[in-house]
Amino acid sequence: MRSHAGAPPSRRRFLALSAGGAMAGASALSGCAMQVSSGVSGSGETVTVMVNSGDILPEQVQQAKKDLGIKILLVKYDITKLIAMLTNGNPPDLVRGVGAVDAPFFAARDVAEELDSYFARSGVLKLDDLDPVNDLWRYDGRTQGKGPRYGMAKDFSQDSMYWYDTAAFDKGGADYPPETEPVTYEEWLDTAKRLVQRKKGQTTVFGGSYGGLTRSTLLATMTVSAGGSLFNDDFSRVDFTTPEARKALAWYIDYCRTKVGPSLIQPDPNGWDGPTYQAGRLAMSNSGYWMGGMIGTDRKLAAVSRLAPAPVFSGGPRISACQGGTGLWMPRGSKNKDAAWRVFEWFFGEEPAKARASGGWGIPTLKSMRSLMPAKEDYQKRVLKVQENELKHFSVVSFTPYSRADAVDALFNQIAPAAMNGQISVDTLAGRLNSAINEQLKRGKEQVG
Amino acid sequence: MTVDQISSVAGRQGAAARAGRAPATGGRRISMTARRHRAFYMFTSPWIVGFLLLTVTPMVYALWLSFTTFDGISPNWRYVGLGNYRELLNDPVTWDALGRTGLFAVTSVPLSIIAGLALAVLVNRPIKARGLFRTLIYLPAVVPPVGAGLAFKLLFDQNSGAANGVLTFFGIDAVGWLADPYARYVLLMTVLWGAGNVMIISLAGLQDVPRELHEAARIDGASAWRTFRSITVPLLSPVLLFQTVTGMIASVQTIMPLLLAPLGDTSGITTVPQSNYLYMMHVFAQYFALGRYGYASALLWVLFVLILVVTGLIFKFTSGAVFYNVDPEAKK
Repeated sequence: MRSHAGAPPSRRRFLALSAGGAMAGASALSGCAMQVSSGVSGSGETVTVMVNSGDILPEQVQQAKKDLGIKILLVKYDITKLIAMLTNGNPPDLVRGVGAVDAPFFAARDVAEELDSYFARSGVLKLDDLDPVNDLWRYDGRTQGKGPRYGMAKDFSQDSMYWYDTAAFDKGGADYPPETEPVTYEEWLDTAKRLVQRKKGQTTVFGGSYGGLTRSTLLATMTVSAGGSLFNDDFSRVDFTTPEARKALAWYIDYCRTKVGPSLIQPDPNGWDGPTYQAGRLAMSNSGYWMGGMIGTDRKLAAVSRLAPAPVFSGGPRISACQGGTGLWMPRGSKNKDAAWRVFEWFFGEEPAKARASGGWGIPTLKSMRSLMPAKEDYQKRVLKVQENELKHFSVVSFTPYSRADAVDALFNQIAPAAMNGQISVDTLAGRLNSAINEQLKRGKEQVG
Repeated sequence: MTVDQISSVAGRQGAAARAGRAPATGGRRISMTARRHRAFYMFTSPWIVGFLLLTVTPMVYALWLSFTTFDGISPNWRYVGLGNYRELLNDPVTWDALGRTGLFAVTSVPLSIIAGLALAVLVNRPIKARGLFRTLIYLPAVVPPVGAGLAFKLLFDQNSGAANGVLTFFGIDAVGWLADPYARYVLLMTVLWGAGNVMIISLAGLQDVPRELHEAARIDGASAWRTFRSITVPLLSPVLLFQTVTGMIASVQTIMPLLLAPLGDTSGITTVPQSNYLYMMHVFAQYFALGRYGYASALLWVLFVLILVVTGLIFKFTSGAVFYNVDPEAKK
């Protein structure tokens, strides 16, 4: 049937037109998305950086525009948004990432740009000035810590260390932990049990928190501390039933079960240790040097706070790994790589890096900036001395490229509470974790190819 | 033009109008029906375009994903046909989550409807400061869920929450409200927190009940309960059906457990206590924590079909119990 002027559109025709409109709309939206990271604008180059609020401050963006002539467009970090941007071919030019776990994941999927050639010609970021922690951002297709560089850490801490509150120790009548020699994990837990204070079913003071940066990095690191490895040689499987991994797992489950500190079965509504520690409700906090940034702003708190070395397992090696190494990486699909690299240099080697180094929120990742770390006050000197000693025991604990740490954590969160509540044994838990996590790793390996 | 001619033209125009065509006035001929169709399509097209763009397109895309192993990033995803659906049928976590969701729906929907209706009956009475009470009861419903979730987390925190503050004041030991086995009760409380929404709709329905029916019942000596049961409820039945259907759909898609979870990152989805690990939590976990876009899309499609089936069943089994003032079958 032919339509003619004035005749109503048939429903089929109308829906076809609507679908056409929808597709045109989708194209327009796609076009808008392209403009987000298209790179060049009339007033100079634009670099899209996906970070958390606070990673790059608005005044630093203004300063970069003035100093570099580059406009920085900040996009809030969101993994789902990042995946959407990567999928539609319009990734940000630089992305926040946790070197310890993100570097192998993104490098193995070929979505991260190799930065060796940029480092080689950089006058700001010299290879011999890079702290070894930046090796977390290296991946040779098999092992983390070797091969090309895919990113760089903005600052770091040795995340198995812990802070303690001397006032809580005095009140609980416990001896202060030594500042140069580590206690064992068993001693740490005994102290936490002694310091925890409870009243009518409520914990008024936590004896200590020990959660690592993520559950997966914590358990991987603790297993190395016990003298083993959580992953097999090609990182395609985990094994929680080895004596070393089981030892680490049993200790962590015991920590959760005794409820001396925040855990999955006793969550801290603050979400992190800072406010709880500051309120005097946490005797020991498993946070590295970076928490000194918060402690340093409170003189009263600084006066009672000490930093202690990472605990060890009796008979195991002394290691003190960085579980984070948070920094930036450049997606391979970045549309404006040279300008992105200039921002990368500025962020890691110029004004923002200096501001971070002197703020005490982490150890600088350029050796040349170590001298900027806060060391004016007595407590700062004391903390710095402990930290410098601990750096001798720094090590890289490799993570699997076949899964994001979030996925391993998610499976752990789902399975482990039963053991924390005493419903299943540690051995049963180990078996269940092996089964669920290895299935996830198997899927990841298939997809990496 | 004579009177006869005028009446003849008018007669033709009337006949044309009755036949659904515009009267022949020369030039372009546009019938009344065509005008109505055009107006209809013009007014509805923004919604239809939005529906196609933002609902149909993602749904079709999700259907396609559900036949793949796509994880959002990896290059080697593959087509697996019905593999994800087969896995779903054999996944005990999925079935457990579905069972919990069903239980949550059959508990929370009647609870919220009864609470909302009771509140509506109360604030429909000629009491002092009625407007203030209506506002206060409705107020929680306008609080964003994220804010409500945070408030509940603080209120029910084991160590510093007000709920345990009350318990300990009376010498009762504090409880871990946000962990199993108590977390489910907190979740139900969040449902009641939003009862103002149900109240406002029930209140509108109550105000539509003809007063003379109540007066007649009172003259006939009917008790207040009998009047409520035999007059108010039947006349409210379309409203109650609406609330049942929309409440059921909302309850199976609730994300409140996530907002009560201890951790806010993507892995935090699975920190939801097991009793609150509902179907949508499982979907979220598969999508955003495990990166299983294909499997999660299959889960969503199954949920979509289940919602359609359950909605159909509700309509089927309530068709004889719902009283419409206007015959819904009447020809428009």
